[in-house]
Amino acid sequence: MEAVLRCEGLRKAFGAIQAVDEVGFTIAEGETYGLLGPNGAGKTTSISMIAGLLRPDAGRIHVAGELMTPRAVGAKAAVGLVPQDLAIYPDLTARENLHFFGRLQSMSRSAVRRRAEEVLEVIGLTDRADDRASGFSGGMKRRLNIGIGLLHRPQLLILDEPTVGVDPQSRNAILGSVETLADEGLAVLYTTHYMEEAERLCDRIAIVDQGRIVAEGTRRDLIARVAERDLVRLHVTGDAAEAAAACEQLPAVTSVDAEGDEVVCLVDGAAAALPSLLAAVAATGATVAGVEVRGADLEDVFLELTGRALRD
Amino acid sequence: MLSAAVMILGKDLRLRLRDRSVWLFALVVPLGLTFLFSSIFPETEAIGLRAGVVDLDGGQAAAGFVDGVLPTLIDEGIVTEVQLGDLEDARERVRAGDVGAVWIFPAGFSDAVVSESDARIEVLVSAGQAVPGELARQVADAYARRIEQIGLALAVHGEVTGGPVDPVLMEAVANAAGRQEALITIADQAAVGGEPLDAVSYLAAGMAAFFVFFVVQFGITGLLEERSLGTLPRLLAAPIPPGAIQLGKLLVAFVLGLASMTVLALASSWLLGARWGPAAGVAILIVALVVAALGVMSLVAVFARTAEQAGNYQSIVAIVLGMSGGVFFPLPDDSGPLRLLTTSSPHGWFLRGMNELSTSGSWSVALPAAGAILLFALAAALPAVMIQRRRSAW
Repeated sequence: MEAVLRCEGLRKAFGAIQAVDEVGFTIAEGETYGLLGPNGAGKTTSISMIAGLLRPDAGRIHVAGELMTPRAVGAKAAVGLVPQDLAIYPDLTARENLHFFGRLQSMSRSAVRRRAEEVLEVIGLTDRADDRASGFSGGMKRRLNIGIGLLHRPQLLILDEPTVGVDPQSRNAILGSVETLADEGLAVLYTTHYMEEAERLCDRIAIVDQGRIVAEGTRRDLIARVAERDLVRLHVTGDAAEAAAACEQLPAVTSVDAEGDEVVCLVDGAAAALPSLLAAVAATGATVAGVEVRGADLEDVFLELTGRALRD
Repeated sequence: MLSAAVMILGKDLRLRLRDRSVWLFALVVPLGLTFLFSSIFPETEAIGLRAGVVDLDGGQAAAGFVDGVLPTLIDEGIVTEVQLGDLEDARERVRAGDVGAVWIFPAGFSDAVVSESDARIEVLVSAGQAVPGELARQVADAYARRIEQIGLALAVHGEVTGGPVDPVLMEAVANAAGRQEALITIADQAAVGGEPLDAVSYLAAGMAAFFVFFVVQFGITGLLEERSLGTLPRLLAAPIPPGAIQLGKLLVAFVLGLASMTVLALASSWLLGARWGPAAGVAILIVALVVAALGVMSLVAVFARTAEQAGNYQSIVAIVLGMSGGVFFPLPDDSGPLRLLTTSSPHGWFLRGMNELSTSGSWSVALPAAGAILLFALAAALPAVMIQRRRSAW
């Protein structure tokens, strides 16, 4: 299948900080590709280069076969961008927002009018089309933000953390819309630090940390890396860092992270290892107030690969 | 590129027209201030002289002034004649402010002219009427100089003929002195067809010039506002040349500035009776000033990180330039530091150009001032473009 997006060896530094380091991947038509990583991992910088907002220090990006640069009009026309921050004009109505951005995409007036009605229907704002966006709820603004990205029927839709700060109902609606779009053949690049969103939506996932892709594959491929392991989350009273250091000494523990009063361990066989974990924590003088054990998921993969938990 | 810029212009104008602040800066406040100031200082600079003559001489030389010079000044609308009694009456009325000035021809004035002795016209001026008083002095000085020349001529005649001056000759010469053209400059200006800007016109032009530097901010800070709104990435991701966004914002500033000044010129003419002068000359000055406002405010904006910060910087610059240009009150147009101050501001050149348009009546006299204003635009725009290019993210 022809790749809609092809990135090779992308690098971008801001001063001494290497924000993106040798990032490369492809996305095919109808595929949803997830960039999963914590805040500051380099997801938004990667997206900014792919959308033509930033020029990479090194590497190449091709969208729909055209080289993407900040001046590449043809490549940009194939991209629909939904930025992480709301990118709408509050003092324009929903319809006016759609019309303005549609016209910037070189759509004719009549095409914009027709397509705007379709998009308003898709994002559920037909009844509020002539209301100013300033009066919308957060979820409605998010939906309008996504609708603008869809308006010109792009070949590649880039969604940068589209559900941040959205209520559960709107979040579910947004995720449902993305699934529908992918089913219709759109290539989707989806960044998130919510593991469950990546698991639900993405055909393939790249785990990003400190500007690099540390693992890539389907959800099944990635979880297979830690399939025999369990995640044990200990809520402790006392010095969590000291407790984590004690846990790390145990042979069954492959990765440990501590934050606040929580110690998160990736363990080979939780049932057998749990008594020794509790004993190790007790030996530091801390007490365990609660224990949570569950099977492997993408968060475990992240912990395994980076030694840190994937947090909101 | 242009079509994308025009789309951005259309969107921004729609947003600005929904934003009440642009109406306030572009029309309501400047028009209101013009009305307010012109009410506080009604025609304080108008030159109109209520004056009279006390003739204690009764001779031909004084008659030349009363019958020749005075009627001319009355006809020109410069002097309104007041009939006076004796000298004491004249002094009392000047002291009371009822009369602005009185020309007093002392006894023996005509004889003094003929005998080449000290012939002096006294002028009484009312306190608080400095400008009319100065006018009265100039008239007296000018007439005295003519009379002096006549006295010299008559003395030469007496020496040549060896006898007294013929009274008929004396009368003819005095009448001729009184009939001569224009004793003062104002009469010359009026004859050409124009007068300096009156108070209302000056204030209307000053307020328009002052506030246009605020109005253009609505376009100049547009990029920073797009950034704070979060819409800049979406504009940059659109399939348009990045320069189209900046061009669109400049067009917004230009259109708003031009509209603001044009509407103010028309509104102040209709509502307050301001006289802006020949339309072509006014248009040249307005366009030049709007371009200067774009240049200056663009330069200020490149040093700001947020729209709010840019607005603060720009307001300070607009106020300083406006004050130094004399937008609230006319600064003396003579040599020295104040003249240097007005020439260091595009506002000052704009008002100078407006004044010249008003006095001359020809649009072409606006060109030097417009050229000076455009130099300000160039001097500010060049570094702004260079700095912006260096900082540009794309």
